[in-house]
Amino acid sequence: MTAFLEFKDVRKAFGGKPVLKGMSLAVDKGEVMYIIGTSGVGKSVTIKHLIGLLRIDTGEIWFDGQRVDGLSERQLGPLRKRIGMVFQSSTLFDSMTLAENVALPLRKHQRMSSSDAEAEARRRLAEVYMAEFADRYPAELSDGMRKRAAIARTLALGPEVVLFDEPTTGLDPVSARRVDRLIRELADKRGVTAIVVSHDPPSIFSVADRVAFLYRGVVHVVATPAELRASPDPVVQQFITGQSSGPMETPGF
Amino acid sequence: MTWLRTRIEALGGRLVDAGRAGVELWLVYVSTIAGIVRGFASRKDRRGRPKGELVRQLHQIGNKSLIFIAVTLGFIGMVMTYEACNQLSRITGTFEMVGPQYIRLIVSDFGPTLTALMLATRVGAGIAAEIGSMKVTEQIDALRMSGVLPIDYLIVPRFTASIIMTLMLSVLGSLVMYGAGGLTAQYTFGVNPNSFFDLDLLRPRHLALGVIKAVSYGAAIPVVAGFCGLRARGSSEGVGQATTAAVIGSSFAVIILDFVISAAALFLFGGDL
Amino acid sequence: MKASRLARFVESIGAGATRVAQETGGIVVLTWQVLRALVPPRIDRRELFKNLHKMGNRSVAIVALTAFFAGALMALQSGPFVKKFGATAIAGYGAGYAVLREIGPILIALMFSGRVGANNTAELATMTVTEQLDGLRALSIDPIAYLVVPRVIAMMVMLVALTAIGDLVALVGAAAVARVMLDIEWSTMYYSMADNLKPWDFLLGIYKSVAFGGVIAMSSCYFGVSVRGGAVGVGKAVNAAVVAAAVSIMLLDFLLTYLLG
Repeated sequence: MTAFLEFKDVRKAFGGKPVLKGMSLAVDKGEVMYIIGTSGVGKSVTIKHLIGLLRIDTGEIWFDGQRVDGLSERQLGPLRKRIGMVFQSSTLFDSMTLAENVALPLRKHQRMSSSDAEAEARRRLAEVYMAEFADRYPAELSDGMRKRAAIARTLALGPEVVLFDEPTTGLDPVSARRVDRLIRELADKRGVTAIVVSHDPPSIFSVADRVAFLYRGVVHVVATPAELRASPDPVVQQFITGQSSGPMETPGF
Repeated sequence: MTWLRTRIEALGGRLVDAGRAGVELWLVYVSTIAGIVRGFASRKDRRGRPKGELVRQLHQIGNKSLIFIAVTLGFIGMVMTYEACNQLSRITGTFEMVGPQYIRLIVSDFGPTLTALMLATRVGAGIAAEIGSMKVTEQIDALRMSGVLPIDYLIVPRFTASIIMTLMLSVLGSLVMYGAGGLTAQYTFGVNPNSFFDLDLLRPRHLALGVIKAVSYGAAIPVVAGFCGLRARGSSEGVGQATTAAVIGSSFAVIILDFVISAAALFLFGGDL
Repeated sequence: MKASRLARFVESIGAGATRVAQETGGIVVLTWQVLRALVPPRIDRRELFKNLHKMGNRSVAIVALTAFFAGALMALQSGPFVKKFGATAIAGYGAGYAVLREIGPILIALMFSGRVGANNTAELATMTVTEQLDGLRALSIDPIAYLVVPRVIAMMVMLVALTAIGDLVALVGAAAVARVMLDIEWSTMYYSMADNLKPWDFLLGIYKSVAFGGVIAMSSCYFGVSVRGGAVGVGKAVNAAVVAAAVSIMLLDFLLTYLLG
C-alpha cells in the first residue's frame, strides 16, 4: 500500500549549498507526523515543497497516488485546496479583520456571497475559540491569537492535510498548549492528516503519532515518541534532552 | 454648523502642524550652516565628523548618479528640441532661433532644475532611507550619547557634497541636453548644427542664474531629505514613508525654488530673461 | 594601478548593464502575467476600489500644487520673450503647448511615481518579506491576479485622471502668473490657449500619461514582489522602482513625442 504522502529521495540545494540530501519519508492518512531537527536543517524547506512554494532538484513527491513535484502553478491550484499550510509568521493580511481574512478563501473558491462567507468565517473562528475577536485586526492581537486565526483560515476550505511550520515557536506556554490541543483535535475528530515542523519538546511528546528526525539532510530516524525517548542513538538523545555538546554536528557553532 | 466647525478645526490643526514642520525644517537648515561654520572656525570642533566622509558622500551622490543623469537629461533634451522645432514649424517655419534660445533656457533653468529633480528622486530617497533606518534602529540616539551632534555627523557632509555634485552634474546634464538636442534638431528637422550650436545669445546673467539655482537645489535636497529621515518613526514602514516624503518634499522644493528664483530674476532684470 | 581601476570600472558597467537587462526582463514577464490574468477578467472588486481610493486621495493635493507651479514656470519662461516681441497673444499658446504636451504629463508622472509608486512598492515588498504572498499561494489564490492587477489598473486610471486635472490647474497657474507678473490679461491668455491649442495637444498628453501610468505601475509592482533581504531590501526596492520609473518615463516621452508628435 502506498502511503498517503511520500517523499522519495528528495534533494534540494540553495545556491550550491545542499540542504536536503536524499530525504525519504512516508506519511499515513490521518496521522500526526512531526518533523524535528536543529535550526537550518531543512524542516520548513521540506514542507514547502509539498505545496509547490519551492521546487525540488531531484527526487519524487507523491500525494494520494499522484506525483506532485513537477506540477505547474495552475495545476497546483486544486492541490493547494487539499493541502493547507499554516506559516510560522501567521501571514494574516494586516489590512483585513480576522473575519475578512478567513472569509477570503471562501469568497474566492466557493463562490459564496459576501454575507454567507462572513457567516461561515465566524463559524470557523468559533471552532478555534476566536469568535469574539472576529472584527479585530491582526495587529491588535497577540501572537497566540493570530496563530489560531491563521489556523482557522487554513481550515476554511476543509483541507485533508494541514502543514504546520513551527506552530508553537514564540508562543507563551499556555497559548502553545492550546495550539497543541487544536492540532490533536483536528486529527482525532476530523481525520485531518497533520505534518508539524517543530522543535518544541512538550508539543512533540504530547501530540505526535510519529516523529521524523531530520539530520544532515536525510531522515535519520522515524519512530513513535516513546521509541524516540528510548532510542540508544546518541545524536537523538542529544537533541531530545537538549544538550549543547555531544556527537551532533551543528554547523556554525 | 458643527460639521463646518469640525472641518475648520481639522484644517486649522493641519495648518499648525505644517507650520511647526516648517519651523523644524528651517532649524535643520540653520543648524547645518552652523555646523559648517563650526567646522571652519575651530579644528577641535570637528570631532564626530569622520575624515573622508565628505569624499564618500561625493562619491555616493555624484559618481553613482552619473549615468542616470546623463541618460534622463539626454532624453529630455531630445524631446524639448523636438517639441520646440515642432512648435516653430507651426508658427514661423525658420529654425535659426532654436539653438541660441535653447542654450539660454538650458543654462539658466532646465539644466540645473531637471538635474536637481532627478537627483531629488535618487539622492533624496537614499539620504532619507539611510538616516531614517538609523533613526528607527536608534543609532541617532547612540550618536547623541557619545557627544556627537547628528546634524554635524550626518547632514553637513551630505550638504557640502550635494552642493558640489549638483553643480557639477548640472554642467554635465546641460552639456548632454545641448548635444542631444542638437543631434535631434539636425536629424529630425534638418537644422544646421552650426546655426544650432551658436552661443551668441548667452549672457553672464544666465550662467549666474544657473549657478545660483544649482547651488540652491544642492542645498535644499539634503536638508529636506535629512529632515524627513530624522523624523522617521516606527519600523520599516516608517522608513518607507520617510523616503516617500523625502522624494516628494525635495522635488517640490526644487520646483518652488525654481519659481522663486526665476521670478526674482524677472523683477531684477526687468522682463528680459 | 590605473589599469586595474579601469578594469573595475568596465566591470561595474557590465554588471550594471546585466542587472538592467535582468530587471527589464523581469518587468516584461510580470506584464505578461498581468495581461494573462486579465483574460478572462477576474479582478477582485474590493481590492480595486480600495486601491483606487487610496492612490487617488493621496496624490491630489501634491499634484495640484506641483501643476500650478509648473504652469507658472512655463509662463515665466515664455512670457518675457513673447512680450519683448509684443506677441502677447501667443503667450498662452506657448505655455499651454508646453504644459499639455510635456511638462504636465512628465512632472505629474514623476510626482505620482515618487508618492504612489514608491508607497506601493514598499507595501508589496513588505508583504513579500513577511510571507503574505506565499500565504496567498498556499490558499490557492494567485497573488498576481489578486494583488497586482487591481493596483496596476488603479494606478493607470488614477494617473490619467490626475494628469487631466493637473493640466487644467497648470494652465490656470500659467494664466495667474501672466496676469500678476507679466501684466497679461486673463482673457488674452484664455483666448490664446483656446484659439491655438488643438485637442490633439491635450490628447497627446493623456496618451502619454496612460503609458507613464503603465510603466510606473509595472515597475513599482515588480520591484515590490521581487524584493529580497528583509527591511533593507524593502528600501532598496523602493529606490530601484522610482529610478527605473523615472528613466522609463523620459525614454517613453521621447518615443511617443517622436512617433505621435
